[in-house]
Amino acid sequence: MMLIAGTVPIKGMPLAVGRVVREGEALAIDSQRIPCTQGTGAMISAALATTAYLGLEAPRAVIVGDVGEGRGSRELYRYLVDNVAGLSPQVLALHYWLPDMSQTRQLCEAVEGCKERPVIIADAASMYSAKAAGVAEGFDIFTPDATEIAFLADPNATHPAYIARHLFESDVDRVPELARAACENHGAAKLLLVKGAVDYVIKDGDVLATVAEPSMPALEAIGGTGDTVTGLVAALTYAELEPQEAAIIAARANRMAGKYAQATPATKVKDIIAQFPSVFKDYLCQWSNVCYIGGDGKDGRS
Amino acid sequence: MVLFTDVQHAMVTEKALKSAGYLVRLVAPPPELRKGCDLAVEINLVEKPGIERLLNDRGLAYIGIDPIKIATAPLLSVVKVTDFGDWIMVKAGNMKITCEKASGVIVNVSGGGCPDIPYLHAELIDRRISEVPRPKDIGFTLCALNLDRAFDECLTLRLGEDEA
Repeated sequence: MMLIAGTVPIKGMPLAVGRVVREGEALAIDSQRIPCTQGTGAMISAALATTAYLGLEAPRAVIVGDVGEGRGSRELYRYLVDNVAGLSPQVLALHYWLPDMSQTRQLCEAVEGCKERPVIIADAASMYSAKAAGVAEGFDIFTPDATEIAFLADPNATHPAYIARHLFESDVDRVPELARAACENHGAAKLLLVKGAVDYVIKDGDVLATVAEPSMPALEAIGGTGDTVTGLVAALTYAELEPQEAAIIAARANRMAGKYAQATPATKVKDIIAQFPSVFKDYLCQWSNVCYIGGDGKDGRS
Repeated sequence: MVLFTDVQHAMVTEKALKSAGYLVRLVAPPPELRKGCDLAVEINLVEKPGIERLLNDRGLAYIGIDPIKIATAPLLSVVKVTDFGDWIMVKAGNMKITCEKASGVIVNVSGGGCPDIPYLHAELIDRRISEVPRPKDIGFTLCALNLDRAFDECLTLRLGEDEA
């Protein structure tokens, strides 16, 4: 099972747990409907597009309404701490929530109770809280952008709002240097997919791959295109690709979807997500050897 | 330093104190007092009595006012502007806001990770920047504060004024 956890921007929405179903332009989880917009909705949508294409089980999600006050986030932490061992997902993807170092440490302890250790992926504030709590190295994949890699590299910052000025002002060429610093400072997951003008896949401080084509500068402006990368990585990891392979393909697919959508800075993320099936159809077999056989909805590896 | 249970109370208090003429600034509390998304207001300690009275009179919630001088951190204040032709993107820390130059309409908000960002995204998108509430007035977190800095820079660019 792939479990995705995060808050959604619907005030007062109760915690919902269930298999994700697409309903028109929205997602349904248990009896709740959420939009496929920036944040957890975009991440889940990208993961669902991937599992649907590959004929895999749809993601299970645990979501809760939180517009920033933190009440929903606390419910979410509590649910995960109490239930993650029983659920024992193969992939656990954590996303938006109010960062809380203490609750994050409790969750990491609870994960130790899983039958088999899940692949743990974090983006957004779940990545912030993991780094701030000093438990980043217990995570398998982080998906920071160029600013967030500076945050991970700054040993004193507990939130990107406090990163040192000289780190923020660094350019894309310094990503490898910052990633090495993040690893040395114990602020990085085992694998980093750093999103930017050039996407870097970095393991233990070493650059394994870069992805720069197709060049789509507009994607940086589009809210949710980082979330979709994380959703793709999670689903491709669930499809049993190696994390670095999943990261490279996710970066390529996101860029290609932007190209297919003819993205401008005004494009909405749902228009990018809508392109994933076409991108997979045209490129996934070539990129990964994960080739859709067709007919029975199953996937196969050639 | 004035300490708070959450970021929003710090933002509201900073605004109230500045309106009252106090020279204050938003900073990170010392590491041992941080939970993950924290903000404090640095004041001149000699002004503590007056500030305390103002906060109490206005019912502004705070944990305490402590004489802490070390291990605080300033907020990142650098902004970067990227010109996309018909659109302009302003980045402050981990937050970006993109507007159409001609109309001043906010076309995208990206970056961040705190739970009010998707909410602010929904509140701001496809509306003129001059007609929407400020992120720091309806947001709750440090990401919202960074977004407000980008928003503030956009306002100085006077986007969409020719059309308005």
